[in-house]
Amino acid sequence: MMKRVFLAVIATFAIPVSVSAISAEDVVKKLEKNTVINTAWTDGYLIIHDRFGTKKTTFISHSKGADTMLIEFTSAEEEGMKILRTSNEIYLYYPDAEELIRMQGAALKESVLGSDMSYEDMTGDKSLLQSYRVNLEGIKEVDGAPCYKVSLEAKSSDVPYYKEIMWIDKELFMYRQVHKFSRSGKLLKEISIDDIRQVSGKNIPFHMVLKDALKKNSSTEFFINDIKINLHLDPDIFSLEELTW
Amino acid sequence: MKLASIAARNIMRNKRRSILSITAIALAAMSIVFLFSFLEGMKNDLTGNLHTYYTGEIRVRHSDYGKYEYFNPLHLRIENYTEIIKEIERNDSIKTVSPRIHFPAGIYRNAEIYRAIGMGVDFQLEKTYQDIESHIIKGRLPEAGKKETILGVDLAREIGVTTGDKITILATTMRRGSNAVTLRITGIASFPVEAFNKKYLLVPLDRAQKLLRMGDSVTEIIMKLKKGASSFKVAGQLNTAFHAAGREELEIKSWKEIPSSYSFIETASSMYNFIALFFFILASSVIINTTMMVIHERKREIGTIGAMGMTGGEIVRLFFIETVFLSTAGSLIGVILGIGITLPFSVAGIQFGKAMEGVSMEISNSIYPALNLKSTALVFVYSLCMASLATLLPSIKAARVKPVEALRNI
Repeated sequence: MMKRVFLAVIATFAIPVSVSAISAEDVVKKLEKNTVINTAWTDGYLIIHDRFGTKKTTFISHSKGADTMLIEFTSAEEEGMKILRTSNEIYLYYPDAEELIRMQGAALKESVLGSDMSYEDMTGDKSLLQSYRVNLEGIKEVDGAPCYKVSLEAKSSDVPYYKEIMWIDKELFMYRQVHKFSRSGKLLKEISIDDIRQVSGKNIPFHMVLKDALKKNSSTEFFINDIKINLHLDPDIFSLEELTW
Repeated sequence: MKLASIAARNIMRNKRRSILSITAIALAAMSIVFLFSFLEGMKNDLTGNLHTYYTGEIRVRHSDYGKYEYFNPLHLRIENYTEIIKEIERNDSIKTVSPRIHFPAGIYRNAEIYRAIGMGVDFQLEKTYQDIESHIIKGRLPEAGKKETILGVDLAREIGVTTGDKITILATTMRRGSNAVTLRITGIASFPVEAFNKKYLLVPLDRAQKLLRMGDSVTEIIMKLKKGASSFKVAGQLNTAFHAAGREELEIKSWKEIPSSYSFIETASSMYNFIALFFFILASSVIINTTMMVIHERKREIGTIGAMGMTGGEIVRLFFIETVFLSTAGSLIGVILGIGITLPFSVAGIQFGKAMEGVSMEISNSIYPALNLKSTALVFVYSLCMASLATLLPSIKAARVKPVEALRNI
């Protein structure tokens, strides 16, 4: 699920639609249509706040479709590190490591570079409607923008979060806020998006804040400096062979 | 002298009863000798392990490191550590110094990530600090600057690797980034401490600094002192020196100020003194019982010697001397037996093996009981005094026997 948000930050299609009567399924379909991309190139950075201070990490990413993405970190601390996400697999590349590290099992729960995002948040290739039962709970304002409040409950246990509540912008069909819960109802993560801009006719979130509710004094901000969408990308850049070069 | 002869004769009059009393004292003394020796061995082992693997005799850290230790605060580090070591080595009481970096690590092997604890060390310094070469059971030590590592024997077994294999380790860098490096395993080590065998991998300090992007810094410097030097005094001297040099961020502590299992053992030691006391009271109850029986059986005799002019004080002394003879024999035999049992274990050690699995104490798998003054001479004196004092009460009772009443039964 977080992957979708993260991909949405990197490149998102957003088609403003006015609706007067709409079902939860329709809202989610329009949201997904908005967040599924063909190709995108993004230059951005993360600001990670924790108990010890603030850290900035810069990155460049390439993405293709809903489940393929390559992130290359460019800041000095992580220079050369890459994350490749290919259809439900996540690989890490480090310049000093002679092998690619495939993240799976419990390792997916680990934080990405000490941020509030886990590797697990980048996984999942099913659509929301395949994984969750959805319910429209009305229209609420978030930061002055009318949003559909949609609750999602997992159909099976193969999703990272059992329950989610999304506030989806009524006009832009982009998340304004997301709360993610465990099966016991404990709040695990919070996402808020406050800067959505149009790029080539698409609505792109340029600033997102993610909070891991289980961490004290911690939050991660995602910023986009520049984004290009629907450009030609060599398919090889998403291959494991290319990753090690 | 006359009383002593009578006492000795009385002891020999009922050999079975005397042997029973001596055996009770001997068993108690033997058990306590072994218990105290075991405890002393445990303390020696724990002290050695703390000094070598955990706290040193003195430890230098960033003053805030302990507060956030749970969060792996590598940024709370000792910068320019080589300069700090030079300053430390100016103190005449310092024997050896070991700069270290502790970090949580993930070992990636066959698509699995195994949790481990990494330790960056200067292997040249560790040769003198902990005689690290003696722990290598296969292969050799890593070389500085090379992508090499040694693993604890149990960790290597769990991962299924041996010397010559390569592993990739993942770690969180000083500024909470992520990094990984592939290392060749040059050696497998068997440390005395179970935790080190199960969880630790040791890498050259410079490689750890590069992996964690820590520059010329370490998380701690620990040191051992020359014999007789006080860790409190030397820690105080170093504190004064570093604070005068403007390094207020450094926290320099004697190992006795650092929470560890040692305080637990010290508490246990006091408790064992009570256990020893309890043992002797149990053994003494046999003597009290025996003496009371003797007094009851020899009532007529007591009456006779009383009628012949022996005073109450002399009767008390007579029975007391009898018990002292029994206690001396019992204590001596017990201590000798205790030494006899302890000695082989003090050489071969007592193996705990799997019993220590999951125990988080800084204690070794093998404990070598150590005989010392407390576990031998003091136990002898202790058991002698306890057993002798225990008979005072029945002896006084014997002195109160009136000759007329005692002789009435004739």
